[in-house]
Amino acid sequence: MFYLQLRNELWKLFGKKRTYIGFGAFLLAQTVMLLLFRFGDIRAGLSRMLSGNGYDASDYISALTVSVVMLIPQISLLMPLYATLVGGDMVAKEYEDGTLRMILSRPISRFRLLLVKWSAGIIFAMLLVLVLGVTALGAASILFPWKGMFVFVPGEAFSVLPAGEGLLRFAFAHIFLAINASAIMSVAFMFSCFNMKPAAATICALSFLLLSLVFENIPFFSSYENWFITHHFKCWLMVFQNPIPWSQIVQSEIILTAVSVTAFIIGCTAFQVRDIKS
Amino acid sequence: MIQLTNVQKKFGARQAVKNLSLTVPTGEIFGLLGHNGAGKSTAIGMMLGQVWPSGGEVRVCGHDVTTRRDLALQKVGAIFETPAFYDYLSGWRNLEIFTHFTARTSDARIREVVEWVGLTGREHGKVKTYSHGMRARLALAQALLPQPELLILDEPGEGLDPEGIHEMRETILRLHRELKLTILLSSHLLSEVEQLCTRIAVLNQGQKVFEGSLADTKRSNQWVRLRVNDFPLATKILTSAGLISSHREEQIELVIGMETDAVVRKLVEQGVGVYEIAREAKTLESFYLSLMSETKSN
Repeated sequence: MFYLQLRNELWKLFGKKRTYIGFGAFLLAQTVMLLLFRFGDIRAGLSRMLSGNGYDASDYISALTVSVVMLIPQISLLMPLYATLVGGDMVAKEYEDGTLRMILSRPISRFRLLLVKWSAGIIFAMLLVLVLGVTALGAASILFPWKGMFVFVPGEAFSVLPAGEGLLRFAFAHIFLAINASAIMSVAFMFSCFNMKPAAATICALSFLLLSLVFENIPFFSSYENWFITHHFKCWLMVFQNPIPWSQIVQSEIILTAVSVTAFIIGCTAFQVRDIKS
Repeated sequence: MIQLTNVQKKFGARQAVKNLSLTVPTGEIFGLLGHNGAGKSTAIGMMLGQVWPSGGEVRVCGHDVTTRRDLALQKVGAIFETPAFYDYLSGWRNLEIFTHFTARTSDARIREVVEWVGLTGREHGKVKTYSHGMRARLALAQALLPQPELLILDEPGEGLDPEGIHEMRETILRLHRELKLTILLSSHLLSEVEQLCTRIAVLNQGQKVFEGSLADTKRSNQWVRLRVNDFPLATKILTSAGLISSHREEQIELVIGMETDAVVRKLVEQGVGVYEIAREAKTLESFYLSLMSETKSN
């Protein structure tokens, strides 16, 4: 039954046009960035940086390098937006539309209903990240050769890797990105369980993320950085460091998973005590 | 089938339902009447475990809804005033989605219900292309899929045109006749309730002000139309004999338990010519209105 209910939830989710806004935006952003990279000045800057460090730029201006460059702004800006958009809709939109009252005239428990919905949200978040990675790599492969990978993120990573290992780390990064996206979706899902409009749930979740980012970047709070969710979102970039700081990555991922579960439990508790009326 | 015992519901400081006790017997078409905001939807919400009671006990199909909602609602179907669907999906897909929240349902069963409600041929069309009547049929189909024994209809005639209301009425009667369902119908369309229900309860400001059979609402009428050769004399005789409690133009109100034969006998004995005597037929509407004005004056 859980499988059937989850399948139905995915039908509902992927039957809606707005679910695809995120995928569409990613494709559009990637196309624009790819063209800028191919024909703009960004490539020259990257070449200078590689040459300055003693590497042959022609070996590392590749599909993998471009994919990571394209990934960073999308992960920082677009992914949270679309994960919160879908997460914020999941319960609040059904309440607003009246379908939640129809569902709750059935003998399903509220916890079970939310578990099905949350699971569908997690699948969406993972799929969003997967599509983002596959399309970025696919599109970059059309215009750039398959060679080594160069990753440079100030303060986070500077790596030059052979193609095989680069691909492996790119794949690993997406596993951690999927956990990030799930945590973001879960926060929005939590707000969606309260008595509020879907847009309000999305705005609350985005505000929560922005506040976390603001506090994290205030020097006074630097010793508390582990308390801010946005600090842990950066762990996917650590995959590109040499050597990979696994303990830090695992710690951040455990914290993010705990945030997801906590958000789900808070959402469940709020939803459990709510009166569902027309 | 449904048993509410001293149920209360407060929304903040507002008491929406006060000490409501109600019994819906198996096999009845039970009408829940009351003006907007009387507490009907809140009461139905509590029966379906959507609204948590502040006090009292709600039992459906023998189970406490608050603690064993899963068992209580196993054989319950519900339709609300504006049935909501996933408009971007087909009718069939909607039925699958809703019914799987109760139990696994075979395609054959879905086909059977689709045919029963008369949606065959349109079940794979998107719901956004459905007319109001088709949506009402789809709502009925989703309620019937789990093979319910109890059907809860919350304002089902709301927003329907006269033809739609007629169709809805016929469908409810058919459900009761063919599927032997117990039906709880909440409405403020008094004529519909009068034509459909066997028992009613009337709510006013969250309180039950009447519960009984439809026949009781008619029986409680004590007003009698009386045509005699001298009406003032007749009322004087009947009042002094203690047979009537009041009178108005060509109408007398019998004291409780009094029948018309005693009135006729007394008048004839006193030499008053009686041309016509008949109990006023009381409609549900007149009963409801007098009940409301009585409650208001109390």
